[in-house]
Amino acid sequence: MVHLLSYIVFIPLVAALLVLLTPKVYQNLYRVLTVLGLGLTLVLIIFAVSKFDGSVQGAINSEANLQLVEKTEWFSMSLGSLGKFSVDYFVGTDGLNVGMLLLAGIVLLIGAIASWNIKEKQKAYFGLYLLLSSSILGCFVALDFFLFYLFFEFMLLPMYFLIGIWGGPRKEYAAIKFFLYTLVGSILILIVMIGLYNSVYDPVKTALEAGYEASQVEQVQQLVQDGTIKSGQIVKSFNMIHMADADNYIPGSFLEKSGLAKIFGQPARWIAFLALLIGFAIKLPAVPFHTWLPDAHVEAPTPISVVLAGILLKVGGYGLIRTAFVMFPDSAYHYSWLIGFFGMFAIIYGALNALAQKDLKKLIAYSSVSHMGFVLMGLAAMTVEGISGAIYQMYSHGLISAMLFLIAGVIYDRTHDRMIENYGGLASQMPKYTVFVAIAFFASLGLPGFSGFIAELMVFIGSFKSSAIPAWMPVVATTGLVLGAGYYLWTLQRMFFGKFWVKDKNWVNSLTDLNSREYLMLVPLVILILVFGIYPSLLLDLINNSVESFADHLFQFRK
Amino acid sequence: MIDLQDIILPKSDPIIYWIIALLAIPFFSFLSTQKFRSKAPHWSTFLLGLNTLIAIYLTTRYWNSDFITVRGHWFKLGETQITYSFLVDRLTLIMSVIVNFISLLVHLFSQEYMRKDKAKPRYFAFLGLFTFSMMGIVLFNDLLFIFIFWELVGLSSYLLIGFWFEKKSASLAANKAFIMNRLGDLGFITGLMILYTQFHSFDLEAIKSLMIYSEIEGGNWVAQFTNNGHEIINTLDGRWLSAAGIALFCGAVGKSAQFPLQVWLPDAMEGPTPVSALIHAATMVAAGVYMLARIFVILDAQALEVVAIVGAITAFMAAIAALSQFDIKKVLAYSTISQLGYMVMAMGIGAYTSGLFHLVTHAFFKAGLFLSAGIIIHQLHKLESKEVMFNAQDMRVMGGLRKHMPKTFFCFLMCALALAGLPGFSGFLSKDAILLDLAVWADIKGGGFYIPEVLAFATVLFTGFYTIRMILLVFFGNFRLPIIMQKNELSGRLKEGNWIMLVPVAILALLSLSPVFGFTLNAEHTWFVEAMPTPIYLVPISYAAKSLVDVTPETFEALHGLVNAVSIGLAIVGIVIAYLAYKPNAKLEQEFVERREPRGFFGQVSFYHWYQDAFYRKAILKFVMLKAQALSWFDKKVIDGIIDGLAKFNVVFAHLIKWFDRYFVDGLVHLTVFTSGRIGQLTRSIQSGNVQAYILASFVFLILLMLYLVF
Repeated sequence: MVHLLSYIVFIPLVAALLVLLTPKVYQNLYRVLTVLGLGLTLVLIIFAVSKFDGSVQGAINSEANLQLVEKTEWFSMSLGSLGKFSVDYFVGTDGLNVGMLLLAGIVLLIGAIASWNIKEKQKAYFGLYLLLSSSILGCFVALDFFLFYLFFEFMLLPMYFLIGIWGGPRKEYAAIKFFLYTLVGSILILIVMIGLYNSVYDPVKTALEAGYEASQVEQVQQLVQDGTIKSGQIVKSFNMIHMADADNYIPGSFLEKSGLAKIFGQPARWIAFLALLIGFAIKLPAVPFHTWLPDAHVEAPTPISVVLAGILLKVGGYGLIRTAFVMFPDSAYHYSWLIGFFGMFAIIYGALNALAQKDLKKLIAYSSVSHMGFVLMGLAAMTVEGISGAIYQMYSHGLISAMLFLIAGVIYDRTHDRMIENYGGLASQMPKYTVFVAIAFFASLGLPGFSGFIAELMVFIGSFKSSAIPAWMPVVATTGLVLGAGYYLWTLQRMFFGKFWVKDKNWVNSLTDLNSREYLMLVPLVILILVFGIYPSLLLDLINNSVESFADHLFQFRK
Repeated sequence: MIDLQDIILPKSDPIIYWIIALLAIPFFSFLSTQKFRSKAPHWSTFLLGLNTLIAIYLTTRYWNSDFITVRGHWFKLGETQITYSFLVDRLTLIMSVIVNFISLLVHLFSQEYMRKDKAKPRYFAFLGLFTFSMMGIVLFNDLLFIFIFWELVGLSSYLLIGFWFEKKSASLAANKAFIMNRLGDLGFITGLMILYTQFHSFDLEAIKSLMIYSEIEGGNWVAQFTNNGHEIINTLDGRWLSAAGIALFCGAVGKSAQFPLQVWLPDAMEGPTPVSALIHAATMVAAGVYMLARIFVILDAQALEVVAIVGAITAFMAAIAALSQFDIKKVLAYSTISQLGYMVMAMGIGAYTSGLFHLVTHAFFKAGLFLSAGIIIHQLHKLESKEVMFNAQDMRVMGGLRKHMPKTFFCFLMCALALAGLPGFSGFLSKDAILLDLAVWADIKGGGFYIPEVLAFATVLFTGFYTIRMILLVFFGNFRLPIIMQKNELSGRLKEGNWIMLVPVAILALLSLSPVFGFTLNAEHTWFVEAMPTPIYLVPISYAAKSLVDVTPETFEALHGLVNAVSIGLAIVGIVIAYLAYKPNAKLEQEFVERREPRGFFGQVSFYHWYQDAFYRKAILKFVMLKAQALSWFDKKVIDGIIDGLAKFNVVFAHLIKWFDRYFVDGLVHLTVFTSGRIGQLTRSIQSGNVQAYILASFVFLILLMLYLVF
C-alpha cells in the first residue's frame, strides 16, 4: 500500500473532521467515530509494522535505512544568493521510530476507549483528541525537521485544551504550566532547527541545481567542500537524515563539524546539542525540568493522563535520539557523563519523591520521572545494549504507565478521590481490581516476565559496559529498583490490604469491581506487557539493525 | 582462540520435554487451580504428585549418565546473543526431587491445615507458582534465567507470606521480605552487569569456559575471545573479579537470609505454617546456597572469604536469637537462619559437597519440624473460642503436649535431634562434614580465620540448647493453657492431629535418620557425598582460593576424631544445660511462663535479635523516609518554586512593562498629541478671520522687520 504512513497520520484528522461535521443531535456518534478512526489507524500501523523489514541494514544517516518512505516537495522558494528554501513532506520509518509508532497506535486507541464516559462538550473533546492523535503520529514518522517541528508544536494546542477544559480542580494552572513549559523547550529546538537549516544542504537537490546527476552525490559533496559550487546553487535542507551526515554541512557554516564557530567560548555544536537536550528533556521529562508533569497528570482526565504518560513523554525521548544524538554525536559523547549522571539522578530522585507522595496519581507521575531516567542513562551509555534498553524502556513504560493511570482512573471514577490514606483493604471489596493493580505495580517495579524488566536490565548492562559513562553510575542506579519496590508495595499494603475501610461511607456502594469496559482496556495491556516481557525479539528484531548502526554512528566519535 | 558463538550454539536433547513438563505442570497448577474451587486442593496435589513422579523417574533414568545441556536463543542485542539453557546433572536431579517431594508433602498437609480457609484455591495456586519458580532456579543454567526465576520465587514468597492480607502484620511482613530480597538482588544485578561486560553472555557454561581463559595482567582482569569471528578483548580492573563474586553472593544474602539482610525471615512466619515449612525452611531459602553452588567455580579467594565470614556470623547471631524466643515458629525461623549460615559458610570455605549435603538433610528435618509445629498450632487453634483467645504459636500456652499428641511428639523429636546434630540422625553427618572442612580450612588460613571456626562450634552448643529448650517447653511439664485460662476442660479437648497431617510429618521424620544416606558415621561414605563431583576453581590462578581438594586425606583423618568429639560434646553440653534450666518445674521454666520478655542484657539482645531490626527501622527506614519527604519538599518548593517564581516574575515584569507602556510610552504619545494640539490651538487662535487684526499683525511685523534691517 503506498502512502501507508500518510494514511496512518491523517486518518485521525479525517475522523476529527467527521466529528466536527456530525450534528450535535448524534453526539453519541463522536466516541464511536473516534474509536473507529483510531482502530483503523492501529490496524494500519500493525500492517505497517508487519511490513517493516528488520533485516534492512544501512547507516543511520542514509536514506537506505528507511522504509515506507514518502517524500515529495512541499514548498520551496528561491532566495537569490542565499540559496533555495525548500521543505519536504518526508515521512518514513526505521528501527528508531517503528516501535514508537506501534506504541502510539495502541495507547491512543486505549485512551479513546477510556474516554467513553466523557459527557461534557463531547464534540470539542473528541475533535481535539483526534487532532492530538494525528500530530503525535505525525511527529513519530516525520523525517523533515520542519515537518517534525510542526507536528511537535501542534501537540501542544489540543493538549492544552484537553487538560484545561476537562481537567480537575486546578486545571487552568496545570494546563498553562504544561503549555508554557513545553513551549520554552520548543523555542530552544526551533533555534537549533534554524541553525541546522543554515548549515546543512541537500546533496541530491544541490547536485540537480548545479547541473549534476542525482547519483553524483559524493562528487557534489566534494565540490561543496572545495567551494567550487557557489552558495547560490546550494539547496539548504530540513532533511533530518542529511543533518545526521557530517559531510552535508556547508563549509564555514555555523554548526559545521570542525566546530570553529563558538558561542560564549564554547563550540557552537555543543551549545546546539545542549539546547536540543534541554528542549527534549523538558518533554521527557528529566530532573530538574519535570515539575510540570505531576501537576499535569493530577489535573488531566484519565485518558489524557494515559496519553500523556504513554506517548507524549516518549516524544521527548524519541526526539532526543532522532535529533540530538544522531545529529550531534560528537557533542553527545562530550556530554555523555552529564546525561548519564542526570539519568541516574532522575531514577533515584523520582523514586524517592514517589515514596513521599500521598496522591496515587502523583505517585505514578513521579514513578514515570524515575523510569524516564533509564532512558537518559541508556542513551548516555551509547552501547547497543544501552540504546536498545532506552528504546525498549520507552516502549514498555508506554504500556505500563498507560495501565497505571487507567487503574488510578478506576478508583477516581468511583469516588473522585485519589488519596492513598483514604482507602484500606480494597482487596476484599474489589478483588479483581486488586489483581490488576498488583500486576501493574509489579510490572512497573521491574519484575521479570514483564516488559519493564527487559528494558531495565538492558540499560544496566549497557551502561556498565559503556566506556562513555563510569561503571558506578548503573551500580548506584540499581537502588532505584529497591525504592520502586518500596513505594509500590507500600501503596499496595496501605490501600488494598488490611481490613476494608474507606474514609467516606457513601463510597462503599460505589466501589464496585471492574466493569467490562475496564477489562477491555486492561486485559490487552496486561497481555502486551507480558508478551513483550517474555518475547522481547518481537520488538528487538525490528530495531536491532538500526540501533547497531546508530551505535556505530556514535562510536565514530569516541576516542 | 575460543569463540563465544561456538559455546552457546543451540543444543537440544529429548530431555527438554521432561524439563518443560517439570516447569509446566506446577505453572498449570497455578493457572488452573482457582477454577476448581472446592476441589482445588485435590487438583493441585494431584498435579504436584505427577511432577514428583516425573522428577523421581528422571533421577533414576539420568543419575548415572553424563550431564546434559539444552540451549536455545532468546533474543539478540546487536552482535550479542542472549540465550537460555538448562543443565541436568545430579545436583539438578536431586534438587528437583527434593523441591517437588516436599512441595507434595506440604500440599497434602495443607489439605487439612487450610480446610476451613475460604481462600484456599488461591493458596494452592500460589503454592503452584512457587514450585514453578523454584524449579526454574533449579533447572536453568543461565544466570539471567536464574535471576528471573529468583525474582519470581520472591514474588511467590511475597504472596504467600501476605496470604492473610487482612492482617496488617502479614502484609507488612510480606513487604519486608520482598524489599529485603530486592536489596540483595541489587547485588545480583551488579554481578550480572560485571560478568556480561566481561564475557558478553549470561550463560554459565560460556562464563565458565571464558573464565578459564581470562587472565590477570598487571592488576587487570583481561578476557580474550572471539564473537562471531570478531576479536574481543575486555579489560576490567582485577578487583571487579572479586566484586562479581561478592555481588552475586549479595543475591544469596537476601534469599538465604544471611547477615545483614536476614531480618525478613522471622517476620515471614506470618504466612501459613506449611508455607514456612516449604518456602522459608526447606527450599526457597536454600536457593541462595544452590546458586552459590552453581557459581562456586567462578568465585575468587576474596569473594569466598566474604562468603565464609558472613555465613559464620549469621549462624552464630541467629543461634543466639533462637535461645530466648517465645514463639515456636520464631525459634524455628532463627534456627533456619543459623543452619543456612552453616551452608553458606561451607560454600565459602570451599566445602562444596558438605554444604549441599547439609542443604539436603536440613530440607527434610526442618520441613518436618515446621509441619509438626503446624499440627500443634492447628490443634491449638481448635480450642479457640470467643472467651478463649490466645496466640497459638506461643510456647507459653503449650507444655505437656507429649501426652496429648504422642505421634507428633515423636516425629518432632526425631527431626529436632537431627537439628541438634546427634549421631544417628542426618543432621549429624552433614554438620560434621562442614565442621571438619572448616577446621582444615582454618588451619590452612590461620590467624583471624579461626574466628569463624569458634563461632561455628559455639553455634553447635547453642543449637543443642535451643532445640531441647523448645522440646521441653512444648512437650513436657503441664499443659499451661488451661492453667492460664483457668478452664480445665480445655485440656481434654486437645487431640492428636489427623493422619493427613501426620503422614507427611512421619515421612520427613524418617528421612531425618542418618541411615537414609548410608550406614556410616562419616559423611565421606554417604551416597550423597560420593555422588557429587568435586569442583575446581576456574578463576585466574593468582586470584583463586586454595582448594580443599588439594589437602591430603590424612589431614582430614587426623582432625576427624577431634572434630567429632568436640561437636558431639558441645551439643550434649548444650542439651544438658537446657535440660537443667527448662526441665519441668525448674527455675527458668517457671520464670519463662510469667515473663513478657526475657530479662537482662543478654536476654534482651537475644530476644530482639541483636536489635538489628530496630536499627533498620529507626535508623535506615526513617532516614530514607525523611529524605524522601525532604526531597518532595525540595521538589515542590525549590524546583517548582523556581519555575513558579519565574512565571510570577514574568507576570510582575509584564505589569511593570504595562505601567511603563501606559504612563511612559503612551504618556509620550499623549504628550505629543497634547503639545501638537496646543500648538494647533495657538495657531488656530491667530487665524480668527478678523481683518483688522491681520492688518495690525502685519503692521507690527513690518515695523519689527524694518527695525531689524536698520540696526
